[in-house]
Amino acid sequence: MTVLIQPFDKPASRWRGLAGSPQIASLVILAIVLVGFSLARPAFLSPLNISNMMAFLPELGIIALGMTLLLTAGEFDLSVGATFALGPVIVMLLAQNGVVDIGTALAIGLLVCIAIGAINGLIVTKIGISSFLVTLSMLMIVRGVALYITQGFPLKSWDQPGVFVTLLADSFELGPWRLYTSLWWFIALTALAAYILNFSKLGNWISAIGSNRNAAVARGVPADAVKIGLFIVTSVLAGLAGMISAFRISAASPVAGTGYELEVIAMVVVGGTALTGGRGTILGTIVGAVMLRAIRNGIVLVGVPGLAFNIFVGAIILVMLILHAFIQKRSFRR
Amino acid sequence: MAEPALKPANTQADSSPVLSLRGIQKNFGGVTAIENFSLDLHAGEIVALVGDNGAGKSTLVKIISGVHPPSEGVMELSGEAVRFADASVARERGIEVVYQDLALADQQPVYMNMFLGREPVRGPLRVLDRRGMIEATEKLVRELDVRIPSVRATIRNLSGGQRQGVAIARATHWATKLILLDEPTAALGVAETAKVEELVASLRARNIAVLIISHSLDQVFRLSDRICVLRRGRQIGVRRTNDTDKNEIIGMITGLIESEPA
Ligand SMILES: Nc1ncnc2c1ncn2[C@@H]1O[C@H](COP(=O)(O)OP(=O)(O)OP(=O)(O)O)[C@@H](O)[C@H]1O
Ligand SMILES: [Mg+2]
Repeated sequence: MTVLIQPFDKPASRWRGLAGSPQIASLVILAIVLVGFSLARPAFLSPLNISNMMAFLPELGIIALGMTLLLTAGEFDLSVGATFALGPVIVMLLAQNGVVDIGTALAIGLLVCIAIGAINGLIVTKIGISSFLVTLSMLMIVRGVALYITQGFPLKSWDQPGVFVTLLADSFELGPWRLYTSLWWFIALTALAAYILNFSKLGNWISAIGSNRNAAVARGVPADAVKIGLFIVTSVLAGLAGMISAFRISAASPVAGTGYELEVIAMVVVGGTALTGGRGTILGTIVGAVMLRAIRNGIVLVGVPGLAFNIFVGAIILVMLILHAFIQKRSFRR
Repeated sequence: MAEPALKPANTQADSSPVLSLRGIQKNFGGVTAIENFSLDLHAGEIVALVGDNGAGKSTLVKIISGVHPPSEGVMELSGEAVRFADASVARERGIEVVYQDLALADQQPVYMNMFLGREPVRGPLRVLDRRGMIEATEKLVRELDVRIPSVRATIRNLSGGQRQGVAIARATHWATKLILLDEPTAALGVAETAKVEELVASLRARNIAVLIISHSLDQVFRLSDRICVLRRGRQIGVRRTNDTDKNEIIGMITGLIESEPA
C-alpha cells in the first residue's frame, strides 16, 4: 500500500504569524491612523476631543460586541439602529407618563428588545429566511413603531438623578478627561464577550455554526438555540446602548441611531471578523470601533469638508477590507 | 433469509454481536426503502455494504445512527433493544458516522473539530481545556498515523484525504461500539484513498465493529471480512469475503443472481 507523505509545514516565524493575524494587522493600521491624525492636528489628542470620542465609543462599541458574536455565527442584524431608538423611547414614554417607575420602565424596555431579538432569531432559524431580509423588515417595523408612538417628536429624557442614571450615564473626571460610566459597561461587556468567544464551549459552537452549520448540528450542537440567543443578545445590547445614550444627552429621539446598523457592521468587519461567519475577534472589533470613531472625528479635525466626509470613511473601510482579504489569502496558501 | 456465509467460523461464534438488526424495514410514505433487513455486526470486523445507487445503503446507515427511526424491526446494541430518538442519542451510545461530505467545521482547527460539541472545560470559569484537547488529538493522530501538518491546522488548509483522516480519527475517538462509513473515499484520489483504507483497516485492532459503504469492489475486497448486498431495498445476501469473488457480488448487485430462498 502506498504511503502518502505530506510535507510538514515549516514553522512560521513568530513575526509572520503575528502579521498574518487579522487583529494585529488592524491594530497596526489603527496606530498609523492615530499617529497620523495626531501629527496633522495636535488638537486630536486634546483632552476635550478624547473625552468626546470616549463618550460616543461605548455606545456603538456595545452594539458591535453583540454583532461580532452574531456575525461569527453566520448571521447579522440590521435592526440594531432602530432598536437603539425604540428601547429608550419606550422607557421614557412609560416613565414620564407616570405609568411605572423608572426601574420598571427600563425592565420593560429591555423586555421589548428581547422580544425583537427572539422574533428575528425564530424567523431566521425556524422558517429559514435570510437574516438580511428578516432584520431589514424588522428595522422598518421597529423604526416605524418608534416614530408612531412618539408622533415623530423627540422625548425629553429622564433628568432626575437616581441610581439608574448614575449607573448608565454618570460622568466623572479622570485626570484631564471627562468620562462616562458607559465606558465601564463597555469594558465589562468586552471582557464577557471575549471570554465567551475565546474561552468557552459556547464560543467554539458559535464559530463552528458560522463555519459549517450542518457539521455543528451533526455533532449535537444546538445551532438554532445558539443563534436565537445571539439575536436576543444583540437586540438587548442595542437597546441598552440606546438607553445609555438617551440618558447621557437627556433626550430620547425616535430617529436616534439611524444608520448605526451599517456603522456597527463596518466596525466589526474592519476589525477582522468574517462577514460570512466562522471567524470572529473581539479584540479586532474594539480596534475597529476605535478606528471608525477616530476616523470620523479626525477627518473633521483635519478639515475635510462635511459633505465629503463619507467619501473618506467609505474609502478607508474598503482599504481595510482589501487588506484583510490579502491576509486571508496568504494564510490560505500557507 | 438464509445467510449461508454467515454460518460463523471460529472467531465470531463465541463473541456476541455488537449490533444486531432483525427484520428492519423503512418506508418513506408509500416507498419501501429497506425491507426485512437482518445483520449482526461483531467487534473487530469490517463489514461492507454494497449495492447500486438508490439501493438503500445510506438509508440503512441513517437508521442505525438514529437519523431515521425504522418503520419496523428490532435493533439490539450489545444485546439490549434500542430505539434512538435522534443521532445524538446514538452517538452517546458509542455509534459514530463518517459521511462522504464530511461534517467538519472548515474554519476551525483540527483539535476543535475533534471535540466539537463535547469540549472539555476546566476550572470554575469552565474555560476550554485547549491543552488537553491538543494533547489528546496529537496522541490519536499519531496512533492512527493520520498525516496532518499540525493538530492546530485549520481544516480548510488540509487536503481531502487529510480531512477524511481527521473525520475518521474523530469517529474512532468517540466510538465505543460501531463506526459507520458512508463512501468515505468517494471524493479522494488514489494515494489518499490508500491512506484512508489503511486507517480503516487499523480500526480492526481497536475492537469496534465497522460498517463501510463503498461503490469500489476492489476496495471492498481489500478491506472487508464480510460483504452484504442490497438491491432496491432488499437484502440479497451476505458473503464472507474469502469465500466469494467479484463476479458473484456483481451478480448479486445487478440481479443476475437472485436472492436465496428463505
Ligand atoms: N428522506 C427520504 N424520503 C423519501 N425517500 C427517500 C429518503 N431517503 C432516501 N429515500 C429513497 O430511498 C431509496 C434509497 O436511498 P439511499 O440514499 O439509501 O440509497 P443508496 O444506496 O445510499 O444510494 P447511493 O449509492 O446513490 O448513495 C431511494 O429510492 C431514495 O430515493
Ligand atoms: Mg448513499
